[in-house]
Amino acid sequence: MHDNRYYKILVGLAAAGLIIGTWGVVNVLLFGKRATALGSYVPWGLWVAVYLFFLGLTAGAFLITILTYVFRVRIFAPIGPLSAFTVLVAITCEVIIISFDLGHFSRVWRFLINPGWTSMIFWMVVFTNAMIIIYALECYFLLRESLVQGAQAEGTPARWLYRLLSFGKTDFTEADRQADHRRVRLLSIISLPVGLIFYGINGAIFAILLNRPIWNGALTPLLFIVTALLSGGALITFLTYIFKVDDALVHYLGHVIRFLLVVFLFLEALQFFVGYRTGMPINRASLDIIAFGPYWWVFWVFHILLGSALPLYLLSFRHESAQAVAAACFLIIITFIAVRLNFVIPDQAVYKLEGLEATFYHWRLRTDQYFPNLNEWLVSLWVFSLGLLAFMLGSKYLPIVSAGKGEAEHVEA
Amino acid sequence: MTRVLPLEDALIRMQRDLKRALAKDPREIRWGMVIDLARCIGCHACTLGCVAENKLPPGVVYRVVLEEEVGHYPMVRRRFVPRPCVHCQNPPCTKVCPVNATYKDEQGVVRVNYYRCIGCRYCLVACPYAARTSDFGERYTNDTPEMPGKLFGRRAAFAGYELRPAAEYGRRWPDRNGGSPFGNARKCHFCLHRLKVGMLPACVTSCIGRATIFGDRTDPDSLLFEALGSPRLFRLKEELGTQPAVYYLK
Ligand code: SF4
Ligand code: SF4
Repeated sequence: MHDNRYYKILVGLAAAGLIIGTWGVVNVLLFGKRATALGSYVPWGLWVAVYLFFLGLTAGAFLITILTYVFRVRIFAPIGPLSAFTVLVAITCEVIIISFDLGHFSRVWRFLINPGWTSMIFWMVVFTNAMIIIYALECYFLLRESLVQGAQAEGTPARWLYRLLSFGKTDFTEADRQADHRRVRLLSIISLPVGLIFYGINGAIFAILLNRPIWNGALTPLLFIVTALLSGGALITFLTYIFKVDDALVHYLGHVIRFLLVVFLFLEALQFFVGYRTGMPINRASLDIIAFGPYWWVFWVFHILLGSALPLYLLSFRHESAQAVAAACFLIIITFIAVRLNFVIPDQAVYKLEGLEATFYHWRLRTDQYFPNLNEWLVSLWVFSLGLLAFMLGSKYLPIVSAGKGEAEHVEA
Repeated sequence: MTRVLPLEDALIRMQRDLKRALAKDPREIRWGMVIDLARCIGCHACTLGCVAENKLPPGVVYRVVLEEEVGHYPMVRRRFVPRPCVHCQNPPCTKVCPVNATYKDEQGVVRVNYYRCIGCRYCLVACPYAARTSDFGERYTNDTPEMPGKLFGRRAAFAGYELRPAAEYGRRWPDRNGGSPFGNARKCHFCLHRLKVGMLPACVTSCIGRATIFGDRTDPDSLLFEALGSPRLFRLKEELGTQPAVYYLK
């Protein structure tokens, strides 16, 4: 990744994505939700799935910092700053895409003055902010030493940025270093319950709903925690390989990812087993849509074959090769959008009252007609590109990789 | 000889009931509805009455009429089930609203505050009766061509219907050209704006079978109260514990 050529290609791709995606963004800003293919019976579509996708990616830092600073697994320390920065980018993308999904974004201040205490979305907003604050601070304290040093050193690229972020600090003593590590550890300890609740609450948004057979149930929040750790962990593993931090680390992370993948598949199998065994038509109908519906290939080809079986094979039989582990993680990440789509849409695709499918025709009142339209894809592309660009610029101009070097020594045994 | 024709139209009786209810302390009123499926002929007049009353745009509907087939051949029958928002007294939709934009008022009517709703559509997915729709800003006149020199073109049609204010919740929604209820969750509100001025809900007055009975559930002299005592009474998805204020007669 230090290779300038890849950097340029990726920045170029991000810029192209931003330019192309702008068409969708402008349409949505001009025409509101009319520019989407959403309807009243499938009111949550691609953007909610993308939101959940980013949500998962944020869990990488959660996994790493908890392992490093709470459970003191020192080996993961070098990727602490990288993972904390990744979470900031992913959570920002998450907030942006879900803002597009709101009918009246200009009223978000209502969260402050009319808080709906009983609403899971309200708590989701609270905990998203808590996560942003925790990881922004954590990222800052992990990078601060390098920032102060970079601000003093001649020839640092974007030195003004280092100066700005150093807040006038010119020297960094051992006492400062100790203090920052204490802070990082404290923040990591706080992030353990906050993170678990954050991922759990996002699951609970769906889990508490009556009459939603796939979503409703105590398994959903747990599934959310596991899926977040899996996709977030896969992202961090992939980045660790790409940034050539340490191949041994990739190897260790590969074991963690394999374990998470197996747990996830087990939970998913349970969901199918329980759903089918209830024998309830509404449960079976939603599951049938996933496995045998018009988009069966999303489940079987993308999720099961490319996103599960192949990575599992690579992580089990080729785990000695860092390249194979990285490839497995890459597959898990890119196919994860299929998992999210299959979670969000099929439950809504089943009419909740008999006869709704045959009355009062309008295409926004039909469940089988939802397929994300061009604007939805373009807005998603725009947000992905923005995230990629922010990440690439961050990796070039901020010490997110170099700051991790030697970090392990600071983690108290 | 058995009585074949009622002595007075049910609407007249309900109108009287309404007047009586409105004379009460408003805090004591509990609005309710009973829909007699044996009387519904599936004409969809209530759906259209509601659409016209509330100036609903395409894709937004408050009261649909569902069709069901009951029985087995040769004893089959078609049954029509009008489904407004059933105004759950334990509503799952209000509890999920992150900004308290939707709530059950003191008279048991589940409302949406259009100025407050952020359009997250959580209440849409939470309603087990699919009774909420989102206003995506569609217009009937979107594809209407402009016809210069003719009486009706897109602009004339737009001014004639789309720009007409809806009177929901007793306010005039000045236009639906970008502001609320554009982007909001929308649903049946028992025509509160009509009740306020002593008129029955549009679905009740437009029902040609007089299948929809409306009134104050706490008024023992009302037609609604009488209907609530019927052995044919049931509610949709009773097992969910949502306790709808809209009942049905089998
Ligand atoms: S029917 Fe749906 S919208 Fe109406 S009160 Fe019940 S849950 Fe809410
Ligand atoms: S769409 Fe509006 S009324 Fe419904 S939950 Fe969201 S903010 Fe509340």
